[in-house]
Amino acid sequence: MAKKKDTTDLVVFGATIQGFAQACINLNIVAGAKAENLIGEIEVTGWYPFEKLREIEKVVFEVYENSGPILERVGMEMMLGWYNFGPGKEIIKKGVDFLHFQTGSQGYASVVKGPEKLVGSFNLEFLDEDSGRAKINSTTPFNKDMERGVIIGGMSAPGDLDFIDVKNDENPQIFRIEFA
Amino acid sequence: MSLEELLESGGVPKREDFSQEDLAKLFRKYKGLQKKQERDQAFWAATNENLKIAYEKLDEQERELARTYAIIQDDLSVASKIQAALLPQPSAKIVSELELAVYHKQLAEVGGDYYDFFNTSSGGYALGVFDISGHGVSAALVMTYLKAQFMTILESLDSPKEIVEWVNNTSYEFLKTVKKYATVNFVVMNTNTLRYVSGGGFGLLLSGKCGSVFEKRDAFLGLRRRAFREFELPFRKGDLLALYTDGITEAQNDAGEDYSVQRLNKLIIKNAKKPVQEILDLCMEDYTRFRNKDSDDITLLILRKKV
Repeated sequence: MAKKKDTTDLVVFGATIQGFAQACINLNIVAGAKAENLIGEIEVTGWYPFEKLREIEKVVFEVYENSGPILERVGMEMMLGWYNFGPGKEIIKKGVDFLHFQTGSQGYASVVKGPEKLVGSFNLEFLDEDSGRAKINSTTPFNKDMERGVIIGGMSAPGDLDFIDVKNDENPQIFRIEFA
Repeated sequence: MSLEELLESGGVPKREDFSQEDLAKLFRKYKGLQKKQERDQAFWAATNENLKIAYEKLDEQERELARTYAIIQDDLSVASKIQAALLPQPSAKIVSELELAVYHKQLAEVGGDYYDFFNTSSGGYALGVFDISGHGVSAALVMTYLKAQFMTILESLDSPKEIVEWVNNTSYEFLKTVKKYATVNFVVMNTNTLRYVSGGGFGLLLSGKCGSVFEKRDAFLGLRRRAFREFELPFRKGDLLALYTDGITEAQNDAGEDYSVQRLNKLIIKNAKKPVQEILDLCMEDYTRFRNKDSDDITLLILRKKV
């Protein structure tokens, strides 16, 4: 059942949860009745407790010993869905637009609501289009492997960039992006 | 020629065909592909690792399943021996008075078809054929329960109606609780007659030139608390009695047709003059040819009062 926005709770937009679940299904991480259960009860326009997303994330942790590359791929797959079947094409025309969209956490703020401390931010702190470098600082409660995939997937989706690399191995919250 | 045109031309281009910008683009694409390959490799390595772990878990589960299956098979084998041992050997009196042939086969290791011979309190003897609902262990457990009930009451009663009613009344709550019921064919032999109670059991009596099928419309054991009816029929020297469960008559052939009560009774009547073992063998041969597979426990008793 869809939950209305409540400032005391951390809530996630239904389309994001469904996108995450659909990505897991597309990648055959879950299948059959379990998959139907994952997306069956989610309304795309609803708001759901953040724990709902954690539940789905847990499925990946339970199934995969090394979940990092899998969650990265889930993030990429999610953003392909967002671009091809969601509002993505209306919002970004080029790969670099996806980075601009993160300025002031506007992209993130459109899918997560709640107390500031809990919500955190996903903010573009630096961008130099000429040298093909950028930096995003993330203090969100989301999994950082998945967020790396979200950046790669979001920038790849329009198809104009030849090269994208996102690293956060030194500090998981700081994403250093190279692109061309 | 643009880089795209060069790539589409299919030939091997020369160095001078590329502009500086083309080379830079190729370099970027190469780097991009390298990164993509790294990510793909990591993804597939994680997936493969996961598959390996899943197979190992599956292997362990299969081994566990095999161990459990072996334990269950051992238990069932013992249960099967126990149930076989619970089936009766006819008493000396029965052997001296009756020519007797029995076919009894459970669909699984243990089952719910059950027949028994009893001594009555007045020094006579009785026969019972029962079909407990369902198959397997639960039906076999009900069988042992019913056997104990009949053995208890036969020490004090010898009217089939009273015996069956007593067993039904004392077993009713238990059978209701375990959601089981049983057909009953209970026959007490007298000097020149037999008295029977039948709730869903099948019986055919050939006495002299007359044939009678058992009136079987009373309730099954455990289904209702109702009075049973007792019937008396002549049973003299040379008379033939067949008692059976529906395992034979409801078996189907490839066309989906039932073997049927009519077919079995007709075969018994046609061969009534033959020794009982021969009649039984003919019935089972005919049944085996007809049915596509056994789908229920089977019990067939054929007996003749010795001349």
